[in-house]
Amino acid sequence: MNDLEERLADCFQAALPGIARSELRNASMKSTPGWDSVVTITLLSLIEESFGVQTQAADIEKLTSFESMRDYLAQGAAHASR
Amino acid sequence: MSVIKLIDALNIVKTAPRQEARALNVFLVCGFTPLHMQTFLTAHLQLRSPDRSVQVQTGLYGDIAGNLERAAEAGPDAIALVLEWPDFDPRLGIRAAVSRTPSLEELQDSISRKANLIQHVIETRLPNTTIAVSLPTIAARTNVAQPCWLTTGLEMALTRRIADFKTWALGHRSIRVLSSQRLDTLSPSNTRSDVRSEMTAGFPYQLHHASVVADLLSRLIRPPLAKKGLITDLDDTLWSGIVGEVGDEGISWSLERNSHTHALYQQQLRTLAGAGAFVAVASKNDPDVVQQAFRRSDLLLDANQMFPVEVSWGPKSEAVRRILQAWNVGPDSVVFVDDSPMELAEVQSAFPEIECLPFPKNDPQACIELFDQLRDLFGKNAISAEDTLRVESIRAPALLTKEFLEDCEAEITFSEIKDPSDSRPLELVNKTNQFNLNGRRFTETEWRDYLADPASKLLVAGYKDKYGQLGRIAVAGSRADGGSVSVDFWVMSCRAFSRRIEHQCLRRLFSTAGAGEIHFDFTPTQRNGPLQEFFTGLLDRAPQGRFGLSGDAFERKCPQLFHTMKELL
Repeated sequence: MNDLEERLADCFQAALPGIARSELRNASMKSTPGWDSVVTITLLSLIEESFGVQTQAADIEKLTSFESMRDYLAQGAAHASR
Repeated sequence: MSVIKLIDALNIVKTAPRQEARALNVFLVCGFTPLHMQTFLTAHLQLRSPDRSVQVQTGLYGDIAGNLERAAEAGPDAIALVLEWPDFDPRLGIRAAVSRTPSLEELQDSISRKANLIQHVIETRLPNTTIAVSLPTIAARTNVAQPCWLTTGLEMALTRRIADFKTWALGHRSIRVLSSQRLDTLSPSNTRSDVRSEMTAGFPYQLHHASVVADLLSRLIRPPLAKKGLITDLDDTLWSGIVGEVGDEGISWSLERNSHTHALYQQQLRTLAGAGAFVAVASKNDPDVVQQAFRRSDLLLDANQMFPVEVSWGPKSEAVRRILQAWNVGPDSVVFVDDSPMELAEVQSAFPEIECLPFPKNDPQACIELFDQLRDLFGKNAISAEDTLRVESIRAPALLTKEFLEDCEAEITFSEIKDPSDSRPLELVNKTNQFNLNGRRFTETEWRDYLADPASKLLVAGYKDKYGQLGRIAVAGSRADGGSVSVDFWVMSCRAFSRRIEHQCLRRLFSTAGAGEIHFDFTPTQRNGPLQEFFTGLLDRAPQGRFGLSGDAFERKCPQLFHTMKELL
């Protein structure tokens, strides 16, 4: 895992303590037991707190997996670095 | 104050103590989605209660009165009641959009009805439950035509309604209201609301604000133990100037001499001493010079309120050691204030548990912050009669020989009254470390439940002699256990040591128990050495776990007692 993924993994482990760190990359709302809308909101709050980003209301529906959140953050970092 | 991040709060909740730890059940009553407030409240309570397994229950969205009813059904140890304006009328919140603007009278009427309903449910369903209240922290959305810089009639009405609610709450012993002044300092009003979160998730707070509110509520529910004593330096701390150099007329504490922060410090120490905190002096000085300075009539702190006064040229840590001995308190209950970083470091290195605070003599703003910090460290929700007696009691002679005890006209007053509104017995149980049977602590609700149990007996002992009063200094809780009696807890203030009060308490327990043997629910703690020594003397061995002691065995070992006994009915 790169640095972004490590920090994202910390957020996931706080919000979804039942998942092993090695399985986080494949975690999604569909496949992960206990991942409900409250967990999504908690994850987004953690991401905002950890990465200093502000998620947009329209993006929330798309952010339903570790992968989508990682890509969202990577794109945001790319935008920010331009 | 501790503000924690959401990720840390979640991790604290995740690593909470094992299930078998005693539970601390708190009901979070709010009208919004509890979400992170529940997490932060659990985490802050857990930090304040490391020996407990904290559980925070919540109710339903938008139903404050119903949630109070649900809390009453659940019977928690405490309630955190977090109110926002939409709880009084949804039209005052951001989630409501209405086609007709309500009149001022309509809104006032609606708010009053809701406030009255909340008060009614609390008075009828939760009269004895500890309730920590946070009143609206986010400005009401008032849909009026005036500009935002103008105070409107509605704003005035809302302010008045909150003042009425606070006045009502302050009249109830079990209700504690979060200070809006402290909240303003820690969480400025323009950084509280998270509009997007409120619209999408029904959670109205920014994370920082939620953490601050949860921290303050946890302090209202589980107040930190107040420090017992403050040791202060003199030169450039209690007063401005070096008295050995400028003489007693040269030192100052006034606006005119630009040394007013020292006057405010003296005033603060006077307040602390008046509320039962010990105040002592550790100063490198000439004792005669200091005595001369203490005779100044404009000193704002009575020189008698400071004891002991340790003035010498030796290391301050040695002076501190002698003061701790005179007070008979542990270093973790003490604060040391000095303007010299070197002296602070020297004392800190000898006593890592002492809270060492610099007196920022050249920074008035930092001085005010120090005074607020002292208020937090020593503050108590209620001051008891015993608090005002404490300072006098430590001046009594320390060496109590048989002859002295025989001659001191000691009187012990026993009471078996179980009065939940009397805060002193619970205070003693929750703060006494050294003479403590097992270190057991109670929440207010657990205490009320214990007293309400018909099988429980409470023995409270007060003491006075010809040198003065100690007030109520010992408490024992017991219950009949088959043919014998079990003592669940027993504490005695360290001020009462060496007067054989513990022997008299035990004799009293045997005489009313109607049983030949008493069982003690003993647990060793890091601090209860004096109690262990007492029982080792009676048992001829160190106490271990729950143990029994017969009345005959006790009488064989009991020394001669000289107290006069009184019963308080």
